[in-house]
This record gives sequence, structure tokens and C-alpha cells, in this order.
Amino acid sequence: MRCVKEYKRCYDSSRMKGNVDIALETKEPLNRFLAAIERRAFKMARFASGNTDEAMDLVQEAMFQFVRRYSDRPSGEWKTLFYRILQSRITDWHRRTFVRKRFLAWLGRDSQEENPEDPLQALADPASPNPHEQAMRQEERKALEKAIGALSLRQRQAFLLRAWEGMDVRQAAAVMGCSEGSIKTHFFRAVHTLRGLLEDVHP
Amino acid sequence: MKERDREEYFLGKVQDLLNEGAEHLDPRTRDRLERVRIRALSAGEEKGGFFTPLRWIMIGGFATATMAATALFFWLHTSPPGALPAKQIEDFEIITSREQMDFYQNLDFYRWLATEQNGPGKGKTS
Repeated sequence: MRCVKEYKRCYDSSRMKGNVDIALETKEPLNRFLAAIERRAFKMARFASGNTDEAMDLVQEAMFQFVRRYSDRPSGEWKTLFYRILQSRITDWHRRTFVRKRFLAWLGRDSQEENPEDPLQALADPASPNPHEQAMRQEERKALEKAIGALSLRQRQAFLLRAWEGMDVRQAAAVMGCSEGSIKTHFFRAVHTLRGLLEDVHP
Repeated sequence: MKERDREEYFLGKVQDLLNEGAEHLDPRTRDRLERVRIRALSAGEEKGGFFTPLRWIMIGGFATATMAATALFFWLHTSPPGALPAKQIEDFEIITSREQMDFYQNLDFYRWLATEQNGPGKGKTS
């Protein structure tokens, strides 16, 4: 009997202590998942908005909504769900911005565009083993990002999900909420446009 | 090189460059992203199941509205036949107004007071 009581006391104390550990344990995989995708998500939002602060807001909204609504779902579904929220936020942002731009144009004002990049970021690192090569890569990167920015919203989304995130057609269609045929079309057109725009850089 | 191979090469290079771009984000942006992530995770912990304060307000509001509708229904349907609807609504207002309820409860007192002020015999006609 005494053993049972002792066991129960141990069980209760470990359970109380365990509540905190459980919270951390359940949060840790989510933390790792978000840490792994946050930079790519930010870049996608940055391509879409062309503005660092707007991109940060989009990622923040997506993360909050994802954690609040889908953190209980199996981890295998997280990627699709997170990108679905992010793409939906980007599309909403695109619509809002379009209306705002039209309104400002009607008022005769220009909307505020694009934060200039930090010029220090564009400099090649002299400590690098090959600063010349690094500078070349930066130029290539810049050209690629500019070309991606020139794609239409849907083409860009389809291209980044397929070519960067490595999603198959079905996953990309689920994220973008459209048919698999549309994904194939958008992706094909995006690749064709990019190859045309980057012909000099990537012959 | 075949067209398909050229495309694969192109896509591979694009992926490398995009990954590099993501890895080379400036430290300030990386910090901001980390803060955003931590805030999102903390906010997620605070979510309060089904019975959130807003949900309680909605439930309370719905219960009050249902009670008021039920009371109105019974009041209108249990009144004597032939009573005028307008009068019933007036009665309902009287019932639901706390101030007026006090007045009607003390009506006997006010009647007695009026009689006393006029004098016990003043109300009588000769």
C-alpha cells in the first residue's frame, strides 16, 4: 500500500514537472520546422512584395496563423499547410496593393516602393577564398532574383514551389488552390520566361 | 546536351542560387525572423481551447437573446383573448422596466399617502 502511495506521489510530481517539458517537447519540432523554412518563406514573400517590411509582415501573419490553427496536425502536412497560408496571404496582399495603387494613381500620388538593399550586402567578402568568384555568384543571384520578380504572381508561386521547395504538381496545386493542369502551365511558362531573361547569365 | 538535360541543369543552378540567397540574408533580417518565430510559437501556446473570452460573450449574448425571445413569446401567447397587441407590448415594457416595477409595487403606499395628505375625511364627498 505504501509502495502504491509512494509511486503515486512520484507520478504526480513528475506529471506536474512534465507539463512544462511536454509543452517544450511539442513546441520543439514546430520550432525546428519553422526555423528551417523561415528564410525561404521570407524570400518568397520578398519576391512577391518587393519590400522587406511587407515580406516580414506576411511571414509573421503566416506563422501566427499556422501555429494557431495547424500545429496539432501531423508534421508531414506542415509544409503544405504553411505554404498554403503564406501563398494565400501573398495573394491577398497582391489584391490589396493593386487596389491601393490604383487609388493612389487616381489621386495622382505614387505608392511607396521597394526598400533599397543594404549596399554592404552587395560587396564581395575580401576574406573569401575567391572574392572574384563570389562577386560573380552575387551578380548571378541578383539577375535571377530580378528575373523571378518579373514573373506574374501565379507563375512565380508555381515556379518557386516546384523548383525551389521541390513540391510535386499535386502538392503545389493544393498550396495554390488550383488544378494540377494550371500548375503545369504556370511552371512551364515560368521556366520558359526565366530562361529567356537569363540567357546571357545561364546560356 | 539534350533539351531536357539543359532544363535540369538550369533548374539545379537556380535552386543553388536561391538557396545561397536565403542563406546570405543580412543578420538584421535573420534576427527579425527569429523573433517573429518565437512570438508565433508563444502566441500558439496561449490559445485557449473552445471557451475563449470571446466565445463566452457570444454564448452569454445568445442565451440572453433566447431568454428574452422566450419570455416575449409566452407573454404574448398567454394573455387573455381579445387583448390588444399594443397594450400587451406596453405591459411587457412595464414588466421589464425595474423602475416602473417599483412604482407599481408601492402603488398602495402612494394611494394611502395621498389620502393622508388630503385628510382622512377629505376624500369623502358629503
